Amino acid sequence: MLKARWYKVINDLFGNKTRTLLIVLSMSVGLFALGIILSARTILSEGLAESFAAINPSSGTMRTAELFDENFLESVRSMEDVQDADARRQISARVQTTLGEWKNITIFVVADYDDIRVNKVSSQSGAWPPPEREILIERAALSVIDAQIGDVLLVRFPNDVERRVRIAGSAYDPAQLPAQLDGTPYGYITFDTLEWFGEPYGFNELHVLATNPKDKFWAQQVVNRVKDKTEKSGYTIPLSMTAEPGQLPMNDVLQGILLLMGLLGVLSLFLSIFLVINTVSALLTQQKRQIGVMKAVGGSTLQILGMYLVMVLAYGALALLIAIPLGVVGARELSSALAVFFNFDIYSTEIQSQTFIIQVAIGLILPVLASLIPFISSLRMSAAEAMSVYNTSKGRFGKNWIDQLISGANLWFMRNLSIRSILLSVRNTFRNKGRLTLTLITLTLGSATFISVFNVRASLSSTVEDMIKWFNCDVMLTLDRTYRADKVQHEAMNVPGVTQTDVWIQMPTRLVRSDDSESGMIYMFAPTIHAESLIVSPTIAEGRWLEPDDDNAAVVPSAFLQDEPELHLGGEMVLKIDGKERTFKIVGTYVGMAFLPLVYTNYEYITQVTNRVGEADALMVKMDRHDPAYVDVTTRALEDHFERMGVRVSMVSTINNERTEAEASFDAIVALLLVMAILLALVGGLGLMGTMSINVLERTREIGVLRAIGASNRSVALVFIREGIVIGLMSWLMGALVAIPMSQGLNQALGQAVMGVPLTYSYSMPGLWLWLVVVICLSVLASFIPARTASRLTVREVLAYE
Amino acid sequence: MRDTPLPTPQANLVDLRQVVKTYRSSAGTFTALKGVDLRVESGAFVSIIGKSGSGKSTLINVITGIDRPTSGEVVIDGTAVQNLNEEQIAIWRGRSVGVIFQFFQLLPTLTCVENILLAMDYGGHYSRSERPQQAMNLLERVGMVDHAHRLPSSLSGGQQQCVAIARALANNPVLLTADEPTGNLDSKSTEMVFHLFETLADSGKTILMVTHDNELAERAQRTIRLVDGRIQDEFVNR
Repeated sequence: MLKARWYKVINDLFGNKTRTLLIVLSMSVGLFALGIILSARTILSEGLAESFAAINPSSGTMRTAELFDENFLESVRSMEDVQDADARRQISARVQTTLGEWKNITIFVVADYDDIRVNKVSSQSGAWPPPEREILIERAALSVIDAQIGDVLLVRFPNDVERRVRIAGSAYDPAQLPAQLDGTPYGYITFDTLEWFGEPYGFNELHVLATNPKDKFWAQQVVNRVKDKTEKSGYTIPLSMTAEPGQLPMNDVLQGILLLMGLLGVLSLFLSIFLVINTVSALLTQQKRQIGVMKAVGGSTLQILGMYLVMVLAYGALALLIAIPLGVVGARELSSALAVFFNFDIYSTEIQSQTFIIQVAIGLILPVLASLIPFISSLRMSAAEAMSVYNTSKGRFGKNWIDQLISGANLWFMRNLSIRSILLSVRNTFRNKGRLTLTLITLTLGSATFISVFNVRASLSSTVEDMIKWFNCDVMLTLDRTYRADKVQHEAMNVPGVTQTDVWIQMPTRLVRSDDSESGMIYMFAPTIHAESLIVSPTIAEGRWLEPDDDNAAVVPSAFLQDEPELHLGGEMVLKIDGKERTFKIVGTYVGMAFLPLVYTNYEYITQVTNRVGEADALMVKMDRHDPAYVDVTTRALEDHFERMGVRVSMVSTINNERTEAEASFDAIVALLLVMAILLALVGGLGLMGTMSINVLERTREIGVLRAIGASNRSVALVFIREGIVIGLMSWLMGALVAIPMSQGLNQALGQAVMGVPLTYSYSMPGLWLWLVVVICLSVLASFIPARTASRLTVREVLAYE
Repeated sequence: MRDTPLPTPQANLVDLRQVVKTYRSSAGTFTALKGVDLRVESGAFVSIIGKSGSGKSTLINVITGIDRPTSGEVVIDGTAVQNLNEEQIAIWRGRSVGVIFQFFQLLPTLTCVENILLAMDYGGHYSRSERPQQAMNLLERVGMVDHAHRLPSSLSGGQQQCVAIARALANNPVLLTADEPTGNLDSKSTEMVFHLFETLADSGKTILMVTHDNELAERAQRTIRLVDGRIQDEFVNR
């Protein structure tokens, strides 16, 4: 038979169901947030690794300017240290979406869809392999071209052949950047279909898998040997990429997100602890007299401590019962959403046992540890003190400088204002400073996270804007080869709406190191440098931008210098252009995207050394109006005009589209962060509700006094609601300040992960004001239930018969 | 106590008819007031005495609307209190009755004058512009004007009770009730507080005071003795 004191524990747990529910909910929100983050992190990390392993990822990919055949592929396969190799044809084409808009599309031609050995593509739905004169679209790309299986697309190849092809199915190709992130859809056809488009047979993309792919250095050496062989066989390699072992293209971004999730997990853990301390304090406040009675009848401190610790354990266990299953469901949903966004499959949504162990440990042990502080201070009280009814309420006021600052003596100028009830709320806020601090920490962290998420969104926009403003134009047209620069510029100016044009030349290059090893592909952009240039200087990190009389000057990304320790500002670098080594002087570094390193050099110099004087392969066009619809119409007219003039456009990028696509690519990350912020805000809101409930409990007698001197239900409730709002406003103000370093940290982490540089810092005022509205609503809601309880108390209940 | 016949009441401010108050709990039923009839004329100073559990606090709580009678009528200054709901009672009480507690019950985060002003804000008896001056007048009346802007925690028990009396007078109520107002004070403070009650009674305030101190009770004009929920005796002391 249970001892009497355990019956008390059981009765306390189930006797006051509202209190138990509040405490359990407060605990479970924190544990749920922690569980969802830990589990999603594990599911995504494992899913990513498994997904990548399943496609037999290449160690390196190279593209050849000339077409090669199976014989060359077989010779690569037979090379020592090459585990396997595969080849495809890659074509940059244009596609008209179902909405009539022309977009760039990358089309892959595979010889045998049932024998893809490296960077495997698999069937998602519909036909497999693609039937003749039909196309498969990568599953993440269908939404990019607003199409679905069965739709017919008009596809234009670089040879100007246009064909209508039916979408026969969708494919899954996790080795490519998700289409919605880079805005380029991927399509898959057979060589028969390629022939129908008037293109000759042959491959131009070689995927190589080294014998020991996990050894990055070794894999790179093997890929370099294949490159040498390819070049010796007479093929030029304009583009090559070496893969990071075991990583999908979006791995860095996803790792950045997982890192942020981890940080938020730690944050929610702290918030849970604060909630526990607050809720346990509430419990002890309510039980203070009973503790006094138990002491008076001979209960030892240890016995009483044991009772309450068991009670806290029970609350923790109940919270876990809610938090664990909800966390599992939430983590699976979140992981699935992220996997769809980053375009990889999750093979298992099983939650690791260590996640549960951490949750259980935090749910059971931490509350006990956290509650020891309020327990010990409460149990130290003598029986007489605990049972005392002398004071109106607990909470010392008037002792320190904050109290003095807001007490009567200093507010002489307010004495004639009828704001007593407001003063009552404001001063009540500061009565229990320990509890206020814990509540504020919880709510401030929620506030800061929420505001920071908006700041990150604003910073992403600023960063995109910063990068786009380098291009003082409305559209960039990439041509299929070099043309006479003055000719294309002249033709462009003939199109109505075009006000200014500029050209550049772009070419792939590779860095040649002092040990003769070569880097991966680097894109060289050579814009014209003069007063009317449509490309202005990017954000210079160090050094300077190009000048008109520069010869072999180069401006490189700042991250590039970190990756290549031999290089430094003011120093020289050797680049291989068209197979020839040329020396450049690094005159500046810029802040910018680092997916692919872009090196800027002077147009005049490059065209001279490559015998392309007066030629260009890219055109920038400025128009007299810049709204998207107008730019689209004028661009189409420009394309049509060029087509008539025999100038082939291989790629079109309007600045508006670039901006939209760049911003859209971050929306999922921002949405995820927002979900986390809302979760933290919810934890903060529950914390505030707990605090206000304790305040109501502690001030029951005062409520009676207010009733006795004529306060209406509304007046009593307002005292507590205003107090909640004061706490909310304080947390808003502090959150706004904490958000400054927090946003910088997030910008740093996210920027590094996504772009290799921190985002351009921007503080979102709309976010700040939105959170003000949210926090006031949250505060009113969190205080409303305790305030209503307070207003329903009768004077007799609280004064006369206590 | 002097055994003097009761005078015929002139204008009854407090009129209780056959008031019964029964408490029901799992332990059983307990009747605290058993058909009490009581009339108190305007301007009277009445003390209520009785042993612990005799029903004196219940009686004063029923009069102030803090508690509701199980049956019977409680009419205060023409208002049938038992017919009002909890919200209406709170507002009525703020305007019509000044309640004084044994433990003063000043709000600890408001200064003395703010405690009074808060009651004035709720009662609305004075206009906003009048309130600060009226509050200072009340503090002067109870001899606490020098402590107007101090927090209650910096005052002695007697001083706090004086401020509590000033608060009870905030809306110039027709009736003052006090439940053991000196029960928590030393003899010097008791004398100070009681003298204040006498001064208020002399100025025409109607006062109902529960006390266990017979000597103090005798200093009221009239004393009612409660025994087991019934009025056993009524005395006119002066």
